[in-house]
Amino acid sequence: MMTTSKIALQEKRRLNKLILPLQQGPDLQLGQFLKTVEDCCPQTAFAVKIRLNEMADGELKDMEFFFTTLPNPTFDSEAYKTSVVGLFIRHMLLAYNKLSFSQVYKLYKSLQHYYHVYDAKPVDGQMGVPTFVADDSDMDLTSTEVTIGDKMERELDSPLYASVELNQISRGPLSQKQAEYFLAKQAYLLKNDDNKALRPAKLQEELNNMLKFNPDFAEAHYLNYLNSMRVQDIYISTHSLLHYFDRLILSGSEGKSNGDEGYGRSLRYAALNLASLHCRFGHYQLADLALQEAIRIAQESNDHVCLQHCLSWLYTLEQMKGSDSSVLTEDSVKMAAHFCLPYLASLGIQSLVQQGAVQGKSAHELMDALKDTDILHWKHSLSELIEISLAQTISIWRMYGKSTMAQQQAQLLLNMSSLEPVNFGVTQNNTEAFAVALCHLAELHAEQGLYGGTTEIFKHLKEQFPPHTQHAKLWMLCDLKIQFEKHMNDGKYHLAQPLVPAIRAQNKTEGLYRKAQVLKSLSRTTEAYRILQKLQVHCEKTRCTETIIRVLLSTAELHWESSDFSTGLPLLLQALTLSRKHHLQALASRTLLHLAFTQLMLGVPEQALSVLHEALEPILAHGGIMDKGRALMLAARCQMALVATRHSLTVAIHTLDEAASYFSTLNCKERLRDVRYLQARLHSSLGQTAQRNRCAMLFHLLDRELQTPRAPTDMRL
Amino acid sequence: MSKEIVTFTFLEFGDLVQIKKQLISVISLCKERGLVHSVKWASELAFALDPLPKDELPPSHLVSEEDVQDLDAFALAKSYFDLKEYDRAAYFLRGCHSKKAYFLYMYSRYLSGEKKKDDETVDSLGPLEKGQVRNEALRELRVELSKKHRAGELDGFTLYLYGVVLRKLDLLKEAVEVFVEATHTLPLHWGSWLELCNLVTNIEMLKSLSLPSCWIKDFFMAHIYTELQMIPGALQKYQSLIEAGFSKSTYIISQIAVAYHNIRDIDQALALFNELREQDPYRIENMDTFSNLLYVKSMKPELSYLAHNLVEIDKYRVETCCVIGNYYSLRSQHEKAALYFQRALKLNPRCLGAWTLMGHEYMEMKNTSAAIQAYRHAIEVNKRDYRAWYGLGQTYEILKMPFYCLYYYRKAHQLRPNDSRMLVALGECYEKLSQQVEAKKCYWRAFSVGDVEKMALLKLAKLQEQLTETDEAAQSYIIYIQEIFSCGEQLEHVEVSTALRYLGQYYFKNKLYDEASLCAQRCCDYNDAREEGKALLRQISQVRDQTETPSGELFVSLSDNNTPIKRVSPLNLSSFTP
Repeated sequence: MMTTSKIALQEKRRLNKLILPLQQGPDLQLGQFLKTVEDCCPQTAFAVKIRLNEMADGELKDMEFFFTTLPNPTFDSEAYKTSVVGLFIRHMLLAYNKLSFSQVYKLYKSLQHYYHVYDAKPVDGQMGVPTFVADDSDMDLTSTEVTIGDKMERELDSPLYASVELNQISRGPLSQKQAEYFLAKQAYLLKNDDNKALRPAKLQEELNNMLKFNPDFAEAHYLNYLNSMRVQDIYISTHSLLHYFDRLILSGSEGKSNGDEGYGRSLRYAALNLASLHCRFGHYQLADLALQEAIRIAQESNDHVCLQHCLSWLYTLEQMKGSDSSVLTEDSVKMAAHFCLPYLASLGIQSLVQQGAVQGKSAHELMDALKDTDILHWKHSLSELIEISLAQTISIWRMYGKSTMAQQQAQLLLNMSSLEPVNFGVTQNNTEAFAVALCHLAELHAEQGLYGGTTEIFKHLKEQFPPHTQHAKLWMLCDLKIQFEKHMNDGKYHLAQPLVPAIRAQNKTEGLYRKAQVLKSLSRTTEAYRILQKLQVHCEKTRCTETIIRVLLSTAELHWESSDFSTGLPLLLQALTLSRKHHLQALASRTLLHLAFTQLMLGVPEQALSVLHEALEPILAHGGIMDKGRALMLAARCQMALVATRHSLTVAIHTLDEAASYFSTLNCKERLRDVRYLQARLHSSLGQTAQRNRCAMLFHLLDRELQTPRAPTDMRL
Repeated sequence: MSKEIVTFTFLEFGDLVQIKKQLISVISLCKERGLVHSVKWASELAFALDPLPKDELPPSHLVSEEDVQDLDAFALAKSYFDLKEYDRAAYFLRGCHSKKAYFLYMYSRYLSGEKKKDDETVDSLGPLEKGQVRNEALRELRVELSKKHRAGELDGFTLYLYGVVLRKLDLLKEAVEVFVEATHTLPLHWGSWLELCNLVTNIEMLKSLSLPSCWIKDFFMAHIYTELQMIPGALQKYQSLIEAGFSKSTYIISQIAVAYHNIRDIDQALALFNELREQDPYRIENMDTFSNLLYVKSMKPELSYLAHNLVEIDKYRVETCCVIGNYYSLRSQHEKAALYFQRALKLNPRCLGAWTLMGHEYMEMKNTSAAIQAYRHAIEVNKRDYRAWYGLGQTYEILKMPFYCLYYYRKAHQLRPNDSRMLVALGECYEKLSQQVEAKKCYWRAFSVGDVEKMALLKLAKLQEQLTETDEAAQSYIIYIQEIFSCGEQLEHVEVSTALRYLGQYYFKNKLYDEASLCAQRCCDYNDAREEGKALLRQISQVRDQTETPSGELFVSLSDNNTPIKRVSPLNLSSFTP
């Protein structure tokens, strides 16, 4: 109206920019609202306050007066009738004119309440010139408040903002908009970073509160379901899920989705969701039944999209049950591609890649497949799948024993900025892909003896994936394994032993393998042998190649204990074929190491050295620090066993020095002691007394420190 | 006053005169305070007891100094209160000091808040506000009452009011404590007991409460047993109450009738309701339950009579609307029936039965989504409503989602562990999911808990037949036939012939020709099995002609083998034959 000209153009622009967020955003408290307006234009904010104050401290007629003086948007040029503001004012006037007397009074009451809640804790009202009559833009902003206010009493600090100010007394029902905002925010946080969402108990409380006041609010049930999944409460989650769909079925039949179709659809997805719930809790039989039901009703109503979802769950379920599902998966991929469901298609391909990797498909096939899906992902901006694909690449490189590549991919994933928009200041970084990448990274660090880095990573993992969350098991197992390895390297078997049951709880096969290792180290050979045999049978059944190879190696080592080197040979050869077939380079080189050692023991050091040279390069390039040390030590021993020229002995001493440096990073004193012993002997045969004495002293110090009798060096790798 | 009552509450049951005296005094106490429902309950009981001679009547209560002071204000306020002008009543009572006046003061404020709440719901500002209208007075009342409570200044009535306020504020745990306290201070006030009833959710909780031992506790126990579906216990309690001298009480009769209704003893319940209507022809309470029974029995004329009668008495009562709804439902006019249930719900949105019944109507109209909604509402009102859970299960079964409805049936079963209908429904679902083992368990359990519809065994037998467990199937059929005939009445079962047919073939295969021929003969009694029966008879005679083996030896050998077949079976049922 008349004062418009008094507002600077810049302020006006800022106000205009504010209109849309205010109208579409959640309800604000008056204090916050005034503050936002004040940031744009202090004059207007003040005018709004004066105007509100007039109404709130006045009588009903003041509010009525406000409504009568509102510019009629049909004629007024400032707020054109089709503009955002104009439309809004028209809506508001219509709504206002429809109110009965008592409703108008109630509206006035809630306005008063709204104002006085703010007034009671005044934000120092700045003194300004009280001469403004509310101008146009201020009016519509005020009215934003009033109309939303007329839907709702807005006494309460909603928990959205109230988490800080715990004003318990004025807690109460939320408005629809507030509630929706609350749900959307919490759901988003649950999906992306559930550490930032409300605590499960607190969230449950809020939801119960919400449902008490508005039991028809179906979405709250769904959030309740998600929340109870978070704490693994099957009882409440089932209950909430079913309740949600019961409600949804009703709204679906009325909603925009055409009649019967809409409600049948939610039925199908209800069954599917139930299946996924049982799957999540590991009730495979129940999940299977629910899935079959979903498939049946989806088939009856020719819902191909739903069927595709069912199919992808079906192969997941089969996979979880441990049976081969590649045919199903292939079908799923084909169908999904046919129905233009890129998400499902590439999900299928990824799971095929995973299966292929385990079954020993050639590397270029797998990488090609991943590359093709990557193109698809970037085209459709499927950021989650991009992450999974990267994580898969990491795992595959790790499996092949290419630690550098794995490390590089892990860094790529961790440093990638997500494609999804950032809401509520939270980026998505709690997916399984991140957990996997971080775990690999931790293991890679541990392999290189960088335990400080590992600890850092685990600290982060613990924060990001607290123990009750879904993916926490990943890092728990990883952590246990690393600790176990460390203790074994240190020779502290009594510390490693208690970890075995913990590992076993997470992963039975892994637990058994570790148990065998401990028993082997404690020289309880018979028991260890029995376990390894059992494990081998089991792994051959489940086709877990990596473990088979490791078991074979351990069995061979057991044979060495009884100086029975030739019996181990066929086992090692078998392991070598297997690992070559599956392109498992790290394991292959380790097998070669074992072979070389066997040959050395059998008295053919030339052969041993040539075998060793084959393995040495990949080990030094990619292997863990332990393997490096062992390889070098073995090389030195082979050189010693060969014709002893002076030159070759010096070379051997140098090799041993290198090995010693590796072992000392790992703090692996037993092996260090062996190295010193060998060095002392070498020096002695070269006649270098001073060096010999130094090595002998080092050996003596270590020996005293360790207190355990030294195992005959020749007998171990 | 309350002290006075406490002194004479701990009496034995035998002294009906004392009980009557107590009732009379508590009636006048409640009446003064406007607690109409408790007055009604006590008066109904008092009416059932013999009248006292003139000199035995309890003296009117002692009047304290404070009462005298507040006399005029109290009388004025009470008159306003009776006219439902609560704010006015509260205004004139604000300065009074007597306990009686204080109670009325608080009670008026409470009721005023409740009344405003109800009015608000009518003109709320939009659908979003639904369920958010609250009694604004509650919070203040709670603050004041809790202060007095801590100071120990509350008498039995104000404690009751405090409890109600707490319950309305959803502070259930505190509410239970306060109600227990109220029953201790003033055991004769039925209102507190009733509130307690609604708050006690399971038997463990009931056992953990320490309640005053007073004759009224028996009424409470009986009531709560009915609520918790422990019907035998309730019936026993009521029986002992009748024996103690309350035989004329319409309250007890109606409660027993409801209890019988809950355990599906329809005939007993019907008889009691008829008796009740004779004694109290203008009664509207519990008549919806009565109409349910008439509905189940398909007694159209009686139901129609009842509906007309109730409409004449008061057509704007929830019960009346339910009865009319049932009436229309029985006449298969489901739209109208749903309309009347909706009307009932408008009169009282927390009326549980109407939600469930409306769900049933929508089911009949094949409007599954509306049915689901109605059932969900019913569950919201009362989570223990097994019929609504069962209804939800049925709805999903109709939608052909047997796995999905398992959850609902299980819920219903949990609430009524001994109701065969849920078990049969569960069994059917399992059968559809081809979980035969589970299905068999369900059917057998359904039979063991007393099968209402007599279908469990038949289904079991058919299932066993499918699984080719011939011996077990035969066994089930035999028990089935025994059950059918021994229950005497004519059920609409055509399945006896199926059983006989199977048994005939079974005996024939096992070379028990006598039994086989008997079954075959019986088959001929039924139209659908006649031909097969005859064919079997022919076969038997053929075989007998060929091999003249005396079947007696076979019997011996079979019985030595401990076959599970009860050979008594159909043979000595001849006396029951239709």
